[in-house]
Amino acid sequence: MTEVGARAVGASVRRVEDPRILTGRGRYLDDVVLPGMLHAAFLRSYAPHGRLLSVDVAEALELPGVVAVYTGADMQRLTEPGKPGVIAGMDQMPGMALPASYGLAVDKVRHVGDPIALVVAESRYLAEDALELIEVDIEPLEAVVSYADALDPAKPPLFEEVGSNLAFQMELPLGDVDGAFARADRVLTATISVHRHHPNPMETRGIVASWDSAAQKLTLHASTQSPHMLRLLLPPQIGVPMEQIRVLAADVGGGFGLKNSVFREDVAVAAAAKDLGRPVKWVEDRLEHLATGGHAREEKADVELAVTDDGRIIGARLDLVLNVGAYLADPFPGSTMAMAAVMFFQGPMKLEALGAKATSVFSNKATYVSYRGPWATGDFLRERSLDIVARELGLDPVEVRRRNYVVRDESPLAMLTGTPYLGVTTRECLEEAVRLLDVPAFRERQEAARAEGRYLGLGLAAYLEGAPPPKTNGERQADIVGDETTYLAVDERGRVVITTRQQPHGQGHQTTLAQVAADELGVRFTDIDVLWGDTDITPVALIGTGGSRAATMANGSVLHGSRALKAKVLALAAELLEADAGDLELADSTVSVRGTPGIALPLAELARIVATEPERLPDGVDADLRITEVFDGGEGGWSGGVHACVVEVDVETGLVAFERYVVVEDCGLPVNPAIVEGQIRGGVAQAVGAVLLEHAAYDEDGQFVAASFLDYLMPTSTLVPDIEVHHVQTVLNDPDVNFRGVGEGGMIVAPAAITSAIEDALAPFGAQVREQHLPPSRILELVGTVPVR
Amino acid sequence: MTSPLTSTDISLRVNGEERSATADVRTTLADFLREGLGLTGTHLGCEHGVCGACTVLLDGAAVRSCLLLAVQARGAEVTTVEGLAEGDRLHPVQQAFHDSHAFQCGFCTPGFVMTTVALLAEEPTPSRERIRECLSGNVCRCTGYQSIVDGVALAASRDAG
Repeated sequence: MTEVGARAVGASVRRVEDPRILTGRGRYLDDVVLPGMLHAAFLRSYAPHGRLLSVDVAEALELPGVVAVYTGADMQRLTEPGKPGVIAGMDQMPGMALPASYGLAVDKVRHVGDPIALVVAESRYLAEDALELIEVDIEPLEAVVSYADALDPAKPPLFEEVGSNLAFQMELPLGDVDGAFARADRVLTATISVHRHHPNPMETRGIVASWDSAAQKLTLHASTQSPHMLRLLLPPQIGVPMEQIRVLAADVGGGFGLKNSVFREDVAVAAAAKDLGRPVKWVEDRLEHLATGGHAREEKADVELAVTDDGRIIGARLDLVLNVGAYLADPFPGSTMAMAAVMFFQGPMKLEALGAKATSVFSNKATYVSYRGPWATGDFLRERSLDIVARELGLDPVEVRRRNYVVRDESPLAMLTGTPYLGVTTRECLEEAVRLLDVPAFRERQEAARAEGRYLGLGLAAYLEGAPPPKTNGERQADIVGDETTYLAVDERGRVVITTRQQPHGQGHQTTLAQVAADELGVRFTDIDVLWGDTDITPVALIGTGGSRAATMANGSVLHGSRALKAKVLALAAELLEADAGDLELADSTVSVRGTPGIALPLAELARIVATEPERLPDGVDADLRITEVFDGGEGGWSGGVHACVVEVDVETGLVAFERYVVVEDCGLPVNPAIVEGQIRGGVAQAVGAVLLEHAAYDEDGQFVAASFLDYLMPTSTLVPDIEVHHVQTVLNDPDVNFRGVGEGGMIVAPAAITSAIEDALAPFGAQVREQHLPPSRILELVGTVPVR
Repeated sequence: MTSPLTSTDISLRVNGEERSATADVRTTLADFLREGLGLTGTHLGCEHGVCGACTVLLDGAAVRSCLLLAVQARGAEVTTVEGLAEGDRLHPVQQAFHDSHAFQCGFCTPGFVMTTVALLAEEPTPSRERIRECLSGNVCRCTGYQSIVDGVALAASRDAG
């Protein structure tokens, strides 16, 4: 509950967003009501895979209150098929299959929940009534469900034009792989898997589309992380040019990567609104969301490790397969995450060579989307591998990590990809975590507990995240997301207006960007307005908020833009006060002359003069108090840390309880520590769910079996522990901007730390944990209470 | 759109005011509050009674408005998140949530606030463990719950019930 003091940055300033949200005045997607608005509901496939023989909507159209029913044939008439990933350049990647699709199924259904028809009615209730009156005839096709199914040439391809179910394939040889294996004392192998689970924000997907036929303008209210993305992706599909599309997004109820996509439903609803000339609202319900809103993960890797007798992994071969489901996410196809996962395998590990094969396969499952640290399976494989080495060699997992993690300023100075290990504090974080948990004392306690039939375990894991990473050979790495543009201005009232491309959905940018600007400008925190979520005013950007970019990119852009704006303000003030700009200072929203008390020009007064008495300004003076700041990320840097936890596993029930969860991290300089810690804890909570509860499960026939919150279990307040967050001394890389991304870290590393702890607890049973999903039923298998299915 | 055969007038007290509107008999209390009365602070997170985002007080008790029909609330006293603050002055629970950074995206927050108001009315000084137990029927995807527990504990310490 910090008040804004002399400096706002570094204080846990209470959020500007809070009062409206706390009093029920937040405006989320379903709160949008437009005159004449209609309501939409989708009929979705019950079948995993089949030929769509007929869709009879006649009876549905007769239901009073139903305005229209659209099918795939209508989409063929009204729209062009979407080509996923093209705008992000994915069609330039070798080995990438990018089958196009319409908003509604045309000739085939490819997963349970595939949208078949769209009913538009006077109310959502009536639209759902009409769904039951639509007759659908589907001729079943053999379902492609597992990795083996997808790799089996005898199984039917989901997309005939692709010819197989291979969505993506690439090989990544880094360093002398064969040489590393030749030098190894031993080679260890394992197959490690991560199960399908998903972001599941509390606000589901949704869109309100409104067509102004006079202006030929489409307005979209969206629950999105990236408003401009809709303007960039929809035009070729719906035939409305980008400049005629306005996207509005106010409060967004969570995203976690999911809402960095344009969905087939968005296309169908926009096309319907344009066709009808009336606003159409679609709000996904939870059952739809769980089945089709967007799943994530589901990777499996055969891992081969070249290991020395002192416990070092000097080389690795990975053969990773990712199950991407049926339709690809646009603009970031999940199939690319197979490559990202193998590239992040190294992380902070002194690996000398990596030979990776990454494959993505289509299956009759829902779309694979980005989820908080989309490459995190790579980190999971590394940390599991380190534990495998520890167990195999009889070494303590902490000691194995000491021997494998890089030490700052010691060789190797860069990853195998060339990205420098500039300023990494992994080892400092590790030692602090070991100190906090008092590992030697824990081992004694663990021993004593085992004697009493209680099973405690300690696990730990590390990660690095570049957001953006340090420059390689003085160059920034190619980044399809681009530089960060911010508009800053002093308006006619003297208020500072920051217009950001970020689309906050819980990160509190309305607060944090104002904190940065307040300090840099010398303007009161309460004199700053942050604007977002309206593409008519915000800078164009493919991604709004995502990839943990806001900390460095948006704050950095605001920092430099504030400095430029301040220089303009002082130059104008110098004219008005007839003083040297160098003698002026701006503090507390007022310009004053150093050493001359009594002379002061409030920013509001300066702004009023500029707006209403421009004749008082000398000719030719620049009185335009606006800045467009483009920030390239500066020197960049690593965000990272070590998570460590102690769990107790009840071997009777299979339940896992946390005794302690410690995060030791380095995200540079936090703008708002409470927000930083909230991001970290939220990520850990999602990991707790991922490991112990959540599974977007399909049966072997491709039927989806986790379509309610009774089947897809979310972590609650009695399961997620208090999470201690500790910070280590950071290393500053950039002269000005050392705020680093922290959005993804918790979810990247916590699954590895938790599984590590569970394996440690179950060591007396000889348990080998090779997967991430460890619900009670699996724990009981690991301890041998129930037979392995 | 309502049908004369299935629609009905529904009157109830909401946030201290007599309110009435016509709605289909099958309208849930949540939809009635949101669409019939324009009180969109009550959110729908799952519509099957698990997530708690739609929690309101019905005659003082925390209930899931997605599982009730509006007609079941006829004549009752309903309190929603809009009914807590007095002008610009936040309710003590709201203030404690604000002071504790108790939420991020805020979609689940109205439900947590209403659950907390009901809890502190019955148990003014719950332990941290008891708070966790009582919040376990509300799902938050952003915070990991710790800051929400902090907010409830802070409200309790300020005698917010």
